[in-house]
Amino acid sequence: MIGKPLRTLISWLLLLPIIIVILFPFAVMLSTALKRKDEVFTFTLTWFPKEIYFGNFAELFLELGFGRAIFNSLYISLGATLVSLALALPAAYALSRLPIRGKGFFTGYLLITQMISPIVLILGLFRMFAALGLINSHNALIIGHSAFFMAFAVWMLKSYFDTVPKDLEEAAWMDGASRLRAFGAIFLPICIPGIAVTSIFTFVNSWNEYAMSLTMLRDADMQTAPVQVAFLTGTLYEIEWNLIMAGTLVTTIPVAIIFSGIQGYLVRGLSVGGVK
Amino acid sequence: MTDSSVNNPDGRARLLKLPSVFLILPSLFLSALVIGYPIFDVLRMSISDVNRYGHVRGFAGVDNFLKIFNDPIFLQATNQTLIWTFCVVGGTLLISVPIAIILNGNFFGRSVARTILLLPWAVSMAMTAVVWKFVVNGDFGMLNHTLETFGLIDTKIPWLADATFAFAIEILVGILVSMPFTVTILMGGLSAIPDSLYEASSIDGASHWQKFINITLPLLRPFLQISVVLNVIYVFNSFPIIWIMTRGGPANKTDILITYVYKQAFAFGRIGNAAAGSVMMFAILLGFSLLFLFITRSPKETL
Repeated sequence: MIGKPLRTLISWLLLLPIIIVILFPFAVMLSTALKRKDEVFTFTLTWFPKEIYFGNFAELFLELGFGRAIFNSLYISLGATLVSLALALPAAYALSRLPIRGKGFFTGYLLITQMISPIVLILGLFRMFAALGLINSHNALIIGHSAFFMAFAVWMLKSYFDTVPKDLEEAAWMDGASRLRAFGAIFLPICIPGIAVTSIFTFVNSWNEYAMSLTMLRDADMQTAPVQVAFLTGTLYEIEWNLIMAGTLVTTIPVAIIFSGIQGYLVRGLSVGGVK
Repeated sequence: MTDSSVNNPDGRARLLKLPSVFLILPSLFLSALVIGYPIFDVLRMSISDVNRYGHVRGFAGVDNFLKIFNDPIFLQATNQTLIWTFCVVGGTLLISVPIAIILNGNFFGRSVARTILLLPWAVSMAMTAVVWKFVVNGDFGMLNHTLETFGLIDTKIPWLADATFAFAIEILVGILVSMPFTVTILMGGLSAIPDSLYEASSIDGASHWQKFINITLPLLRPFLQISVVLNVIYVFNSFPIIWIMTRGGPANKTDILITYVYKQAFAFGRIGNAAAGSVMMFAILLGFSLLFLFITRSPKETL
């Protein structure tokens, strides 16, 4: 067996190429967002800006109204997280704890919805929301996102609930607590970490979703942050990459940091749930 | 004896059945509305004569399907979808297995390495596509700049203007964003393999390669299978990378079925064609799933 120091060296060396490819775009994002415009559009490029320049962020928020896009994204992602959680929590609890006829059918159905991507149905979704008068409505996206991300939330919550011993609730019933009280006072507090991870994951998925937002929100000032940034790459006569990279940075970094915090839980939850 | 009879010896199970259905119904209702209805609508549109505003003018039979089958761009997009899916899923598996094995080992800084490797998952595909579009920009992109610095190219290459380069770059970006999810599933599989198996084979004098072939791969098989199935579905339906980087261009050479369908619906107003295209995508995925089930079922008895 080889020692841990040698193993460390070999592991990092083997991972190095892919790590470079992963971090390359982040470096480009950061370097370009902090450069003045004339420094981006030159044929003698450098990695480091001559001076750290924050004007791109000011222009992004003050002149392009990017704050509005961030607000739109926050509203949709928070709404989708709340709705999907409100529906997934009872369903996951029922699947994990209660005897239900057709349990297998329900989990199978959820698995199938999980496999249908919103983009394949985009035409049907657009027509449905149009008929409901919900085109250009953020609420349409809350409904759409929570429906498509709910299966995953149920799945993750159920696999978390399954790890909580039944004895705890049963003890509370013995003491005369109702099922609801036992659920609220005993079960829910234990499950807070699992619920938190599921919520964050739903939030991040909704924040990052592109195709549905692109299609349902027709007006520029209604669009979400990722859609607006992507829009800038295709419409301006002169593509202002310095502003676009500032936009990707603002849209990406906070979410990436939040995600890094829960990634360990995802590895556990997904791999346990994934093959069962 | 079932679970319920243990927990509810005095018929409480029967009383609880009604509320437990009500716990599930809201979620079932939402997905039936938002996923079920559009499926029905797309199926209906595909066999209807629809005008560009989406008004159904009558039954059209297989006309819409005949129209797309006579469209050379549809056939080209189908072909490119198969190349795209095969290359991205294959490439993802090829790099994910070694990455998962390395990350499953014990070394200093493993959690840092894991965080970096899973990072592309946290970034939206749209933002990844935007940044890579800039990285490979012919004039001001850092790829050309870096290649020039190392003396690998003399003149700047306009990568996305060339269909072959553009498609290859999009496939690489596709592999990059599919890797974290796949690594996550495979790491779960690897951590479930007991160390004692490796220890026993070491005593028998097995080499690293023999252990990989005879222990790791067979035990990883269910996890490999699930990641193939999920990746094929995700990649086949993947939209933002190609849409943002090239919109299927130049000359439709990077179109895949989903970008074709999107353009038919929202750029050209050919609703019937778009619906027929969506149905074809469903049919192909369904065919794949059945084929996959068939292939993975039969050899199990021989193992």
